[in-house]
Amino acid sequence: MHVTATPPVASREPRRWRPGGRFRRLGLQTTPGRIRALAAVTVLAIGGFFIVASIAVGNARDGLRVIGHDAGPQVLATGDLYFALGDMDSQVASILLTGRESSPGARQQALRRYGQDRAIANRAALQAAELSAGDPTDQAAVRSILDGLGQYERLASRAMVLDEQANHPAGPPPADVIAVYRQATDLMTLELLPPAYNLTLEGGATVREAYAAKRSAVLSGRIWVALAGLAVITALAALQVFVAAHFRRRLNPALAVATLGLIFLTVSAVRLLSGEAAHLQAAKTSGFDSILTMSQARAIGNSLHADQSRFLLDPGRADAYSLAYLDKSQTVLYVASGNLSEYYTALSTAMKAYRANPRALGFLGFYGDEARAHPGPAVTAALSRFQQFQADDQRIRQLARAGHDRQAVMLLTGRTTGSPGYDFDQYDQAVVSLIGQHRAAFDQAIRAGDRALGRSVLGNWAALLPLAALGAAVLVVAGVWARLAEYR
Amino acid sequence: MKRVRANAGGWAAAAVALALGLLMAACSTTGPASIVGQQTLRIGVKADQPGLGLRLPDGTFAGFDVDVARYVASKLGVRPDHITFVPVTSATRETALENGSVDLVFATYSITPERETKVTFGGPYYVAHQDTMVRVSDTAVRNVHDLKGKRLCAVTGSNSWKRVTQALNIAATLAPAASYSACVAMLREGRVDAVSTDDLILAGFAARAGPAVRIVNAPFSYERYGIGIRKGDLSGCEAVNRAVSQMYLDGTAAALLQKWFGKTRLQLDTHVPQFEGCG
Repeated sequence: MHVTATPPVASREPRRWRPGGRFRRLGLQTTPGRIRALAAVTVLAIGGFFIVASIAVGNARDGLRVIGHDAGPQVLATGDLYFALGDMDSQVASILLTGRESSPGARQQALRRYGQDRAIANRAALQAAELSAGDPTDQAAVRSILDGLGQYERLASRAMVLDEQANHPAGPPPADVIAVYRQATDLMTLELLPPAYNLTLEGGATVREAYAAKRSAVLSGRIWVALAGLAVITALAALQVFVAAHFRRRLNPALAVATLGLIFLTVSAVRLLSGEAAHLQAAKTSGFDSILTMSQARAIGNSLHADQSRFLLDPGRADAYSLAYLDKSQTVLYVASGNLSEYYTALSTAMKAYRANPRALGFLGFYGDEARAHPGPAVTAALSRFQQFQADDQRIRQLARAGHDRQAVMLLTGRTTGSPGYDFDQYDQAVVSLIGQHRAAFDQAIRAGDRALGRSVLGNWAALLPLAALGAAVLVVAGVWARLAEYR
Repeated sequence: MKRVRANAGGWAAAAVALALGLLMAACSTTGPASIVGQQTLRIGVKADQPGLGLRLPDGTFAGFDVDVARYVASKLGVRPDHITFVPVTSATRETALENGSVDLVFATYSITPERETKVTFGGPYYVAHQDTMVRVSDTAVRNVHDLKGKRLCAVTGSNSWKRVTQALNIAATLAPAASYSACVAMLREGRVDAVSTDDLILAGFAARAGPAVRIVNAPFSYERYGIGIRKGDLSGCEAVNRAVSQMYLDGTAAALLQKWFGKTRLQLDTHVPQFEGCG
């Protein structure tokens, strides 16, 4: 490095600016004054770049945190919680319905599943509580679910004990059993399930808001980073040209290094932000949206299955459970229909048309959203199993209407291949694997976003930006220091 | 030349300042038109349903729906004197939202999948149950199935009669009417045999009609009272849901239910309902 000072040539002595007072006050009428001023502007621009880039990178980090590590997982945990709770009540209904006629293994199996659901519900509730730390409303909701769960279990156990004592054939149990079960199922559907479902929805709303705000902030941040980078580079170039012209040097190495560094940094930051916006978009549209939709479809689907049992279990509420079944079916997959038999017909027409041309979607609801956004074999598989589930429902209701309650119950609670219970499990499996696909896409996008933020020349971006800004500022000062020294 | 060079740094600084300013502005922009952030709200309510939405002689509105609407509007940041209540009927609810003559509807508006194709629903803020009202002399009707062959009042735009004759396939003869107040009048005059709709609505009428009519007390559906919002206003729907959660959490819901229906025999549920989701 040639830093030997060459005294400034006479002709390069600062020319007098016009005698304007402003420039004199700022010392801009002398070369060192102008260098100082230009250097100061450059350092300020570097500071501006640092702020703009930090805000943009911070937005990307916040977006990933909320969607990937906070509200996103909250939606999954509360979705699991809802499903497990609903399934507990479904298992109880099925045990009460079969009475003494359950096959030796079936009752045990239902009880085992009830226990598993209980464990899943507990785990999911704890996880939801952890994720909602800092939100007293959400935490209160989780606590009330756990409190209510103990009460539910007592009622359910009592109903099952009474039911066993009644030793009744398959079909509606005696009135005292129904009365206790009503208390249990009302507790479940009025006090436990709604807060769990609402937590899921609230998580979904948080994600939607964070996504809209953060992604657009990252995208506009990218433009401002580019502009700020350009400003710094322009200032550095101006300083370089000024110094070169006044000191007859081709290149000021320190300024050149700073310029190259800033070019590299600007390009990397713009690329990072583009990547982060893309990761956020992938996480939201290929992952999260479908996870939310299909988790709701799964939860409502499971309560459809439970409503089939309740419809047979509690004749006093059979109408209410049938109407709820129709409403829920239409929520999951909407085809215009005024009653269940119209629904079965409209469903099979819509499915036939869908299989002929998957783009011509003749249905709405959760499946309409999913099939529109992500057509493919996974959603098609879930749809055909849903259709099978509804076809089974039609058979069960026909039997019940014809007065063959016992046969309807045996059909519903059977778990052998081809039985409605088996078909429902198959349907649920298809939904679970569909959710799993979106879960994988979601996790992958979040991981990619996290990795990009944590990966730069100097480790992660949070550390890189201040260091780089400081380094550039030091180089600018160093670059002009020696030149200014020539004037002392 | 020097002037230009000196200005280059200034331009850079200005660009950075501009960038910062715009970045801040960009962070605070919101989505398309929503009920969120509106200073005034026009809210559609029923005008002829005692206990729920009733226009009083002085022109003001009173009832459970009206009070819930006031609460939700206040949580949306709208001052009470900036709310205009607009009477709607079962037949006009969707159109009023679609053509923008109201911003929100609180009018015993059951969420149904069919309506969801036209309207976004916040809530439900309450889950009622459909029941049946007959003349007190009519002792034969014990549940909805006994309406077979009877004359049933059918309010245009309402879902209740569809539940009976379509969803449950009960062969009642439909007698069209414009509102439930008209239905109750027709029931008392013997022009229809039954009025079947939500227990909250029936309770309000029963209290006024006196001993001439009775409620069968055999509820047979879950009617989720939604808050009608213009289709697609997601942030509005989410804000409304937060307000409803808050209403149950702070005890207002329980107090309002007690205020309007405490004297009836209805079993009132004071737990926050399961929301429909804003889709």
